[in-house]
Amino acid sequence: MAVSKKSMKWIPWILILPVVIIRGFTTLYPILVTIKNSFYDIKILAGVDEFVGLANYVNVFKDAKVQTSVVFTVIFVVVSMFFHILLGVALAMILNMKFRGRRFLRTIVLIPWAMPTVVAGMAAKWAFNNDYGLINDFIRRFFSDFQFSWLINTGSARAAVIAVDLWKDLPFFAILVLSGLQFISEDIYEAAKVDGANGIQSFFRITLPLIAKNVITLCIPFTLWRLTSFDLVYAMTSGGPGEDTALIAYRITTEAFTNLNIGYAATLAVMLFLVMALFSFINMRFISKISD
Amino acid sequence: MRKKFVSLLMAGALTAGMLTGCSSGGGSGSGSEGESASSDGDYDLTLYSINTTDPEFDDWLANVEEATGLNINVIAAPTDSDTRQQKITTILSTGDSSVDIIEINDEMSSAFKNSGWLEGLNDTVMTEDIVDYFAQGYVENMITDNEGNIIGVPGYTGYLAFWVNQEIMDEAGITSIDTKEDFMKYMEAVSGDGRYGYGGSWEKTYVFNEIAQFVNMFGGDYFDWTLDENKEAIQFLYDMVQNGQTPIDQIADKYEQMNPKAIDGKYGCWFYWGLGPEYETADMLGEDKIHMAMVPDFSGNGERYIFTDSWNYVLNSASENKEAAVKFLQYMADEGGMEASYQYFDRYPARTDVAEKIVPDTDPAKEIYSRYATECTVSGRPMLPQTMEFITDMGTIFQSCMQGNISVDEFCTSAQELVEKYSA
Repeated sequence: MAVSKKSMKWIPWILILPVVIIRGFTTLYPILVTIKNSFYDIKILAGVDEFVGLANYVNVFKDAKVQTSVVFTVIFVVVSMFFHILLGVALAMILNMKFRGRRFLRTIVLIPWAMPTVVAGMAAKWAFNNDYGLINDFIRRFFSDFQFSWLINTGSARAAVIAVDLWKDLPFFAILVLSGLQFISEDIYEAAKVDGANGIQSFFRITLPLIAKNVITLCIPFTLWRLTSFDLVYAMTSGGPGEDTALIAYRITTEAFTNLNIGYAATLAVMLFLVMALFSFINMRFISKISD
Repeated sequence: MRKKFVSLLMAGALTAGMLTGCSSGGGSGSGSEGESASSDGDYDLTLYSINTTDPEFDDWLANVEEATGLNINVIAAPTDSDTRQQKITTILSTGDSSVDIIEINDEMSSAFKNSGWLEGLNDTVMTEDIVDYFAQGYVENMITDNEGNIIGVPGYTGYLAFWVNQEIMDEAGITSIDTKEDFMKYMEAVSGDGRYGYGGSWEKTYVFNEIAQFVNMFGGDYFDWTLDENKEAIQFLYDMVQNGQTPIDQIADKYEQMNPKAIDGKYGCWFYWGLGPEYETADMLGEDKIHMAMVPDFSGNGERYIFTDSWNYVLNSASENKEAAVKFLQYMADEGGMEASYQYFDRYPARTDVAEKIVPDTDPAKEIYSRYATECTVSGRPMLPQTMEFITDMGTIFQSCMQGNISVDEFCTSAQELVEKYSA
């Protein structure tokens, strides 16, 4: 039985068709419906479902709760990513050193990352409690009169959320940077040493340039994960005090699944989608530029 | 050629496997939403229940099926409150007739009662001869729609009870907290050194219980923030924070954070739902330790206010088994159904006459619950259809006020704006 060349052309398409259908149904269709919903005022509890054009998009810019969320999301992403890069590279360097127990350390350092975010958030809510929390308990071992409620003030609550985010995801970032470090040949360092380079010079002239592309590439998913992060805040602060730690993804979730304001939530989701797409585009252009 | 054939065969098998997986996944998906407690195929009605995780649920179901003669299919409601509300909202709003009876809480009652999604029960279940035995304030506020239709049967009675720590009261030499003056005297006597006269749960979605309670105690109206009484209540709470009689830390606290503090003797008194199983577990429940007390009379003229809550059985308007559903609801509103709920779920009967009859005198809640029912103005909590948005927004501005970011006057102005926004 001979199979003609013409019919062979269709075989790849037939083979990937199930995946295309599944992907279309589970990804493209929800995206299209979300975009459509963003032009409607859909409040399920109020029984409202009407076309409002761009009104939802205009309302976003007037909504004080969204503005607070955007401000904290920007702070959260920038500060968290800054420390991810700074401490992540430092931790990766430490894990790349040759010392006894290195493999054990590499393993245990990933434990926070392996913990579900909701669990970490719930534990953190208690950890930062003034009366029963381990953070203040630790501080009181040095300053016995120390009293501070971390989660009731805007600044400290935001700092606590960022700290927990770093505690949880930094090790994973560091392990991925470590994989990049391990591709750098020892010969290069030895040659630099022969040429008289010290440790700091080797780091800035060899290590950093060679892992830069790796780190920048890692920044894309890690930044996008921060932009869509909702579970940590959900479990740890419920967006409080007030709305001060409500990340934009948490606001979207609240509007969609608690308040059941589907149209407005869809608008926020579309706007976040556009921001994420723009960020990815810029980052990929940047990567291709430094590759050239 | 042979390679190509094998490749095609494997790809075909993979595709078939994936599609089979999809279809069987879909099948089990409907099951995973809620496991059926009954296994027979023919059911008289379907109940969407929150109690399926209770160890005695099967015994309760057997009791109900035997008493009503109904074969009941049970679907377990999700334990997560948001997911549960989404699913119930979807069932009701789409006219889904696959579920006949649903258990809904006060938040959902407020949201759904005027939607037309729930069947009125005045002529069939909540008839005149029995409706008077339920807390009238609750029935009117929570489960009666704009046209006077009663849309639910309360499954139990719970109060936002006033709890006191007797050891702290004894230490301060205070025998009762009956008036506003007693309350203030207690605050002053016991506050200090890391201890507070009053403690609460002021997380933004929890605090509205206490705001509304204090507004009621001062004779105000939660839906009218132009009243002086409302302002007085908020000023009172603000002053307690400023005077160190209640901690500002509690704006991060839900009940799970509040209760350990209460058990550890950090709070002299507080408001809390339920019968205090946490205190019992900690061996702190009792007349000489932590116990419920009568709500203080802040008005000075004998008026005491208390909130009650419940989960209500409601009948889906789209139900195709209304006759069986009514039979089920009649049993739940009757002595037998309430006794079963008390026996198997420890749910205190919603009807006062039934509570008097079936709850033994040895039950520590009986005396105080009877007093609450007879001596207090019992009402449902003040809620609006966009319940959680309203609650959260009020909680947010309250936290801001207690932290001194906005004044009490500004709080009242904002609160009135929120009432108008969500009432529209």
